[in-house]
Amino acid sequence: MRTVFYRWIGPAIWIIGLGVPLVLGPNWISILSIFSIYAVVALSQDIVLGRAGMFDMGHAVYFGVGAYTTAILNTVYGWPILWTMVPAVVLAALVGGLLAAPIVKLRGDYLLVATIGISQIFHLVMVNNVAGMTGGPDGIFGIGVPSIFGYQIVSQSGLFLVGWLLLGVVLLLMNNLENSRLGRVFRYLKEDELAATTLGVNARYYKIVAFALGAGVAGSAGTLLASQLAVVSPGAFVFTESVTLFAIVLVGGQASIPGVLLGTVLMFVVPQVFRELAQYRYFVFGIAMIVVMVIRPQGIWPRRRRIE
Amino acid sequence: MSALLQISDLHVSYGQIEALKGVSLEVAKGEVVAILGSNGAGKTTLMRALSGLLKAGAGSIIYRGEELVGQRADLIVRKGIAQSPEGRRVFGTLTVEENLGLGAYTRPPSEVSGSRAEVYKMFPRLEERRLQMAGTLSGGEQQMLAIGRALMAKPTLLLLDEPSLGLAPLIVKGIFTALREIANTGVTVLLVEQNARMALKLADRGYVLEVGRMVHEDSAANLLASPEVQEAYLGKTDAH
Repeated sequence: MRTVFYRWIGPAIWIIGLGVPLVLGPNWISILSIFSIYAVVALSQDIVLGRAGMFDMGHAVYFGVGAYTTAILNTVYGWPILWTMVPAVVLAALVGGLLAAPIVKLRGDYLLVATIGISQIFHLVMVNNVAGMTGGPDGIFGIGVPSIFGYQIVSQSGLFLVGWLLLGVVLLLMNNLENSRLGRVFRYLKEDELAATTLGVNARYYKIVAFALGAGVAGSAGTLLASQLAVVSPGAFVFTESVTLFAIVLVGGQASIPGVLLGTVLMFVVPQVFRELAQYRYFVFGIAMIVVMVIRPQGIWPRRRRIE
Repeated sequence: MSALLQISDLHVSYGQIEALKGVSLEVAKGEVVAILGSNGAGKTTLMRALSGLLKAGAGSIIYRGEELVGQRADLIVRKGIAQSPEGRRVFGTLTVEENLGLGAYTRPPSEVSGSRAEVYKMFPRLEERRLQMAGTLSGGEQQMLAIGRALMAKPTLLLLDEPSLGLAPLIVKGIFTALREIANTGVTVLLVEQNARMALKLADRGYVLEVGRMVHEDSAANLLASPEVQEAYLGKTDAH
């Protein structure tokens, strides 16, 4: 069943998704654009939390690093949007790896508190315009749109397709990770770090790699968010955003690609569809979190194990 | 007799509490050495310091002429020291076969299936259960798996931390029969145990560890016969 899903059903849904701009209205197109971006971030959070098992409660920081990198390079230095994705990913991965290096040895709850600290500091730094480049509390305005072969992608449909493409690439990456040695090492560390170490796994190194990888992927989504909204401000990367990402992974299903996508739908698509109820987003999701954790702690769509 | 492993004056502390207060011991190549001690004597601390999981405060651990203190745990495994940790710690959500594969983490993939066949020969029970999740195995089977997993690294020195822990006497007997076979293949074994009788029957030599210090060192036969050891670790009457 799992194999069928990944080999056929998943890719088929993605291909059908390419046709969204032809059938659905502008409202839906922008909802699904936002979905693509946040799905990428949620999947990147899952690398650290769901796969490597580290309580990262500051993941929005890396998303923010990517978004600010794009915003600054585009508005100050005139870089084309898609080009900025490269430094956005690299810088986010670097920040992720460097910040993780001194704290990955911390266990569970201690790591969680340390990552909250990172999240608070990032927000403060952005609000206070420390480097003189982040625009303070208002952020950075007037970020451009991507262009491909000289054509500017100004329409919502075009932006959606760029986001959908990135989501496709990240889904492929996640699927590869699942079947790779690296993905297996993450799972060993999550399940029993001490046992893995006694078998020769360099725990610290791979935990830093998980952070850097997750942060880099989040950075790529940051680029698209900056372009999609045309503005980047500290409010988009506050602590509660990290909490939301954390909850998406737990509620959807750790280390489960469909689970994380489902969690993202619940958090970012459903509230948009019921716009008049959008203010109850956290209320509804909060109740969902409680109910799921009590009756289905493995998440709504948990990872299923295939035995070769 | 040149020592494969020589530990001298090893000190290990947890914060303010000193768990090992200057421990020395020696293991020659091909030997089976048992370290006896009750709960809290520092047995697991010694094992963990040896495998690099804990940092030694002072002293040295010389293995094949090389200092191990300060080396990373994963690199120590690559030097040929494998450990079956206290409490077995098999990966419950992985199958028996996957657990064994993980034991060969430091070795080229092409060598895995050959070694796995050897482990299955030693523990046929594991082969019967090869596609079962390790978490669903009985305690004895999990212990076999933990030992088999450590063997997959093809160690020169095998560290066993309480292989009898929580197992019924009959199962313990089976495990120790397998350990005898392993020792006969030429693997050097260093074992810490509370079950002194089984450990001393298997071992060539033994040490007795008490609150962080070695208090006895002798041949296994002499320790078995020693009145002090009999009283403290063997009880007055034979359980079997």
